[in-house]
Amino acid sequence: MRFIFLALALSSALSAQVAYEDILKGPGSNWLTYAGSYNGWRHTPNTQITPENAGSLVPKWVYRVPNARGLQTSPLAHDGVLYVTNTNSVYALDARSGRLIWSYVDSRAERQSPNRGAAILGDKVYFITSDNYLTALDRSTGAVIFSKQYARLEDGVSSSSAPLAVKDKIIVGSSGGDSGVRGFLAALDAETGEEVWRTYTIPAHGEPGSETWGDLIDWGGGATWLSGTFDPQLNTLYWTTGNAWPDFNGKVRPGDNLYTSSLLALDVDTGKFTWHFQFTPHDTHDWDAQSWPMLVDLDWKGSPRKLVLHANRNGFFYVLDRVTGEFLSGTQLTDNVTWASGIDAKGRPILIEGKEPTLEGNWVCPSVKGATNWMGQTFHPGTGLIYILTLEQCGWFNLSEQEPVPMKNFPGGGATEEGGQVILRAIDPTTGKRAWEYPMTGYGRMWTGTVSTASGVIITGDDAGQLAAIDAKSGSHLWNLNLG
Amino acid sequence: MKTCLWVLLFALPLAAQHGRYESESTNPAIGDPVAIAAGSELYLRSCAGCHGPDGSGGRGPNLVQRPMWHPLSDEAIFTTVRNGLPGADMPPTNLSDDETWQLVAFIHALIGPAAENPTAGDVTAGEAVFWGSTAGCSNCHAIHGKGGKIGPDLTNIGGLRPLAVIKKAIVKPSDELYYLGNESVTAKLRNGETVRGIAKNRDIYSIQIIDRAGKLHLLAMNDIAELEILQRSPMPGDYAERLTAQELENLLAFLAHQTLRPAGPEAK
Repeated sequence: MRFIFLALALSSALSAQVAYEDILKGPGSNWLTYAGSYNGWRHTPNTQITPENAGSLVPKWVYRVPNARGLQTSPLAHDGVLYVTNTNSVYALDARSGRLIWSYVDSRAERQSPNRGAAILGDKVYFITSDNYLTALDRSTGAVIFSKQYARLEDGVSSSSAPLAVKDKIIVGSSGGDSGVRGFLAALDAETGEEVWRTYTIPAHGEPGSETWGDLIDWGGGATWLSGTFDPQLNTLYWTTGNAWPDFNGKVRPGDNLYTSSLLALDVDTGKFTWHFQFTPHDTHDWDAQSWPMLVDLDWKGSPRKLVLHANRNGFFYVLDRVTGEFLSGTQLTDNVTWASGIDAKGRPILIEGKEPTLEGNWVCPSVKGATNWMGQTFHPGTGLIYILTLEQCGWFNLSEQEPVPMKNFPGGGATEEGGQVILRAIDPTTGKRAWEYPMTGYGRMWTGTVSTASGVIITGDDAGQLAAIDAKSGSHLWNLNLG
Repeated sequence: MKTCLWVLLFALPLAAQHGRYESESTNPAIGDPVAIAAGSELYLRSCAGCHGPDGSGGRGPNLVQRPMWHPLSDEAIFTTVRNGLPGADMPPTNLSDDETWQLVAFIHALIGPAAENPTAGDVTAGEAVFWGSTAGCSNCHAIHGKGGKIGPDLTNIGGLRPLAVIKKAIVKPSDELYYLGNESVTAKLRNGETVRGIAKNRDIYSIQIIDRAGKLHLLAMNDIAELEILQRSPMPGDYAERLTAQELENLLAFLAHQTLRPAGPEAK
């Protein structure tokens, strides 16, 4: 899955422009946002692939994305066309044949970062360049409608997130949290690229939350490098933030370091915070909160409740009330968690002494890669389970006491990220208990998400380089294809 | 070994597209507007007679589109200017080091994107030519989303192509393989429909056509009864006559200014 895309089923053509209402409907024959739907489920109502026939899946075509080195994109599908992004580039493919229709490469971009995908609205496909230009392309031809810069590399900001189209806005995130940056989220006008609002994830001097920082507040991190989810009824965006900087040296930034490693709920029209929840106060293990906030309505202890589910890199699985941000539960996601013994009633981790990075190195679980990461889990409304790739991995965390200098690629230490085991887990969000597990062989290097079908199939990557189909109810293997 | 050779043969031209030079020179003349202007004077006096005022060649080779795998480094251009090419018509020069670097700086700019070079024409007059009915450019080409959808997008043309390449694409569109990926096709389908437009891509199994309304037709070749392909560029071939020399120059100036990023030495 690193270099190629495989079409496993034919896509039929529809027509017309992409309206906001089309995105609201969620997937069907189209897939219009990174996660497929605003609620972040990565779930399709399609039923063509079933546990009974999944074993007969065969590849239809392969498209080799030029210059790809570990794609992090989730393709969009609309009107029989797939839109795939790579670093500073977009490729429009005929979904039935895999043939290229058009490509756009911004060869003059001044940074080369991964790219996590595109957004689509009206007759435009949107993506962001590594050097912070929102670029709108005609979805039929790839012609440039506008390319508008929204942040400067000189301020430590680069970009890798998949933009999110909501109403008449395109929401863009920022990267750069490992070398010092003031993270932000911005809404840009979908027609012109002009800024509508910008909300910083690190407070300014004197603002509420600024008391949780020392002198490094101007470069605190809190990057917004993934994408987010959206509740149209509450008019609220849910977006996660990255680590505090310097990543591994917490001594130079005393306090909780708001609003890093957090989930932010924001009014989509103004960008104002509705609430925030910090998973890892004063993070020193580079546990960005970049994993999908999944929006589900479930019975919670006997009454219906609007929830947001979040599997965090720090090893815990969280359930929050998405109207108020109230913490409801925090259960262990992976078996190996050594830095905290649990989550207290207010949602703060119960710390275990002596688990900070040290000069000589400290062995901590999870590793820097985290118990899970950004790739995307799926929620299946039929089974009521979430399906998530987890990583049972520990690692060494080293501290550097070198003076932090912003934008010099200095993380305040280092960490190892080898070994361990990837396990696909089906989790009941109401209890945090596992319904089943699907352990894999490999090197713990995989960065693949999951997708579920209404007919009960989970499609995922396998740490050994396979694409696999798993039975959503039982966790049984249905099919695999070696992608090398 | 045979496989390796093929890989190399295919890889080299691809690599060549990515940068003009294998190693950019650190000589301060490169990118310096004063040095480029001085180099321009030297070029017009000593080089344009054989290589053409825009570098598109004549008695001497085309400097902009050279049939070579590798782009020349600034140092290689310097050496060639200094020593000439023994056995060929290219003579040595007796220019000083500074003058030679000025010339190299000019050639470096000349074969780079048009937006990075001065142009003789009037941009505003060229804009009128582009959107006007005599040339009709915007019937097929778009800039920032305005204009036709079947021709290549020109929003960033000045930031991508050297001036001489743009000029040749206008006055001799069918001379080179500019029409690959831009073939004009008529597909008569087995269901009786006819689709006319530009084939963005095709092979013997499928074809991807965009029609004048901008609608994509993604077809399997099995569904096509008859496919006609125009054996030349769909771009009109009469612009050298249709436009006056001044109009063409103005149009080129306008196109050279179409760039998504700031151009010129001050741009990062």
